[in-house]
Amino acid sequence: MSQAAGGSGPGPSGPGPLGPPSQESLGARFQAQRGWWSRFGDSALGVVVKLAALAAFIALALAMIVRMVSLGAPMWAPALTGLATLGIVWVYLGRGKLPLKYLVPGLAFLLLFQLFPFGYTIYIAFTNYSIANNLSYEQSIERGIAESMQTPEDAPEFSVTPMIEPDDLEQGEIALWMVDEEDDEEFLGTADGLQPAAEVDPVVEDGEVVEAEGFERASLGDAQDRLEDFEELRIPLDPDDEETGEVRLVTLSRASVSEPTRQFDEERDALVQIDLDTGEEEAVYPADHDRGFFIDPDTGQRIAGVPGWRTWIGADNWVRAFTSETIRGPFLQVLVWTYIFAGASTLLTFALGLGLAITFNESRIKGRKLWRALLIIPYALPTFLTALIWRGMMNRSFGVLNDILPGQIPWLVDPTWAQFSVILVNLWFGFPYMFLITFGALQSIPADLYEAAKVDGAGPVGRLRRITLPLLLVTTAPVLLATFAFNFNNFNAIFLVTGGNPPISGAATPVGHTDILISYTYRIAFGAGGGDYGLASVVALVTFAMVAIISVFAFRYIRPLEEVYQ
Amino acid sequence: MTSVREPTTPTKTDPLEAQPTPPPQERRLPFSRWMGQVGWRYLVGLLGLLFALFPVVWSVSAAFNPTGSLAAQQLIPDPVSTVNFQELFARPFWRWFSNSMIVGISASVGTVFLTAMSAFVYSRMRFRGRQLSLLGLLLLQMLPQFLAIVALFLIMIELGRFFPEIGLNSLGGLILIYLGGALGLNTWLMKGFFDSVPKELDESAKVDGASHAQIFFTIILPLVKPILAIVALFSFIIALNDFLVQSVLLTSEEVYTLPVGLYLFIDQDYGARWGPFAAGALITAIPVVLLFLSLQRYIVSGLTAGSVKG
Repeated sequence: MSQAAGGSGPGPSGPGPLGPPSQESLGARFQAQRGWWSRFGDSALGVVVKLAALAAFIALALAMIVRMVSLGAPMWAPALTGLATLGIVWVYLGRGKLPLKYLVPGLAFLLLFQLFPFGYTIYIAFTNYSIANNLSYEQSIERGIAESMQTPEDAPEFSVTPMIEPDDLEQGEIALWMVDEEDDEEFLGTADGLQPAAEVDPVVEDGEVVEAEGFERASLGDAQDRLEDFEELRIPLDPDDEETGEVRLVTLSRASVSEPTRQFDEERDALVQIDLDTGEEEAVYPADHDRGFFIDPDTGQRIAGVPGWRTWIGADNWVRAFTSETIRGPFLQVLVWTYIFAGASTLLTFALGLGLAITFNESRIKGRKLWRALLIIPYALPTFLTALIWRGMMNRSFGVLNDILPGQIPWLVDPTWAQFSVILVNLWFGFPYMFLITFGALQSIPADLYEAAKVDGAGPVGRLRRITLPLLLVTTAPVLLATFAFNFNNFNAIFLVTGGNPPISGAATPVGHTDILISYTYRIAFGAGGGDYGLASVVALVTFAMVAIISVFAFRYIRPLEEVYQ
Repeated sequence: MTSVREPTTPTKTDPLEAQPTPPPQERRLPFSRWMGQVGWRYLVGLLGLLFALFPVVWSVSAAFNPTGSLAAQQLIPDPVSTVNFQELFARPFWRWFSNSMIVGISASVGTVFLTAMSAFVYSRMRFRGRQLSLLGLLLLQMLPQFLAIVALFLIMIELGRFFPEIGLNSLGGLILIYLGGALGLNTWLMKGFFDSVPKELDESAKVDGASHAQIFFTIILPLVKPILAIVALFSFIIALNDFLVQSVLLTSEEVYTLPVGLYLFIDQDYGARWGPFAAGALITAIPVVLLFLSLQRYIVSGLTAGSVKG
């Protein structure tokens, strides 16, 4: 890379800004560089660099596989990583396969972070994946048991000493030094489990343990500072089996063993509630695999405090989106508004951009470069900044617009005004782009066409309608379609200006009058009161379909397509 | 399709530069005719300028206004104050700034490299599956990656369980996602430009014994620098400007980037502090605008070639 940059230097006659390089300058450059590579050729250096890069890549892949295995990933993950690594090594090791050698890096990213997420979106749309159902079945069982810990009356007790990591008092790990006075045994207890004193060889001063395994006895003040952490510390008696119970702090000097009051019964596929003192069954909570919850038969509801698991629910999300009154209504409203927003934005930016382009398409205007540079400033600014600035300016009570203009205009509060406002803001974002595009296109319309029209008696309006617009549309139609598709998903212009608000009343999901499909998706998944990933994926897929339809139209106008079929 | 212009490759230079010098004015027009032909254009232009620059001027003013709101201030605040900047710097603004730069520059460099390699292949080599995969890339260009935000979020949670460096709440994960969108967005644009470099050049180099890597790095890349600059600039700005993905993936303040960080000032978190927000916006905007204006003539021609900035 650096070689290439260095080689080009301030050459004799570099190609123009974007012009095709001239044959002559290339010839000179090529001559000058011949010597450079004849020194290396296909030689040792290239091979060494390539092998080193491959070795580094393999080392990285191995490290990833080791990490996955050691953290208990499902077997297919390291296996797939290994296979992919072998495939890549195969591509780069031999001769030939040249196209693949250049394409593999880009395609790998494309596959992992664009195609796979698309496929995964389709899968999620058919599951109940949500904030309430975000675990696997096994994790849900574990949580069901872990949430049921209680301390029985005759529970074993320990006298404890809080321990702390001396280098990081505020964030570091904590532990308890635990003395079982009955059996005269001592342990170091951490979130990972118990270690007998013999294994951690503690440092003892005046009969008290002051140091073990990198932990030091916490001063009373330090322990008080992290009282909450100590109270939340759960020390499992056996980390592999949560049913054996865990140790919890009672006071800063005492801890006791808690035991789960629920057990999982595989035969009945249910969580069973048990009275710890008598050992009798108190209740049975069967698993409902359609809803992904353990159900309390008395109430018919999920048991509290236990997150559910994700399950395949078929077309339920789709049925819900298109039949439930409180979802379908707002959904259709958002869909229609998305088209209006994208269409109006595209047409208005085009109109304003063209108007300014016609205005400045006159060589007698002085300082046209300066005019242009100033007019395209809105386009140069990142929209995440300017969208928020507009939001501030349009604030009803303290915004500058209401300060200057007469009347208290409810820019962002009233549904119709808010829709007007986001289109106005998006016009501001987009008109400089259209100005640049149409300005370039105007210059390529031959002047003699206008002369001829003038001779034939056409006025300015006639010339605009019969010459400028038709010719301009031929060249700018693809741009208009691309702009429409872009605005169709223009998240910043909506979410940062109004947040999608004002809200639509009576809706089951968070949604507002200015929401477009993409911001609607976002709010269903991540907004306050959202968290419904399944439904959000349905909306995302509908959006896909809409964009795809637009694309079919767009394809007909895109020139490069013709080249594919050459 | 008839066309008055050649849009396939961005070979046009800036229209303003291509403009022939205007003929010298022979005699002065009477004022009314001057107004009819030229003068009104200045008036319309001024109106356009007012619309374009009003929010900009106002937020610059707000940045230096000690009252910290966007209302009821004179254009030139009195007194000019830097309290907003002090309040801004009391927050981890520079951390966000450098995070945004890390993400933007990594995404930009990576995108240019990945796309240049694929454009080289599609422009210079003929192989089985070429047409099909090119068409596939064109289709992908139409399906924005961020529509899959829910899936990306859930994938990043799982990934983070094993690789926190590239999982949820990491800059690494963000960069990977942007690189995933690189090929679909830019391959066609770049290929068009690569096609305009004569093939005879690499053929004669091949005769001289140059390897494909040498042709790519030392002959082609230096010649396509303009398009590399455009793709670099646009992928930088797309990464800088993306609130959607960043607000979902980044969950703690020390890995925040500028969009999510500055949003805190106006969302209720910091209590709707418009003054410091405007100060932060000003600092962020200055380098971007300078970059943009300095590459302006590339951008004008790159736009007509079909790239769309976010």
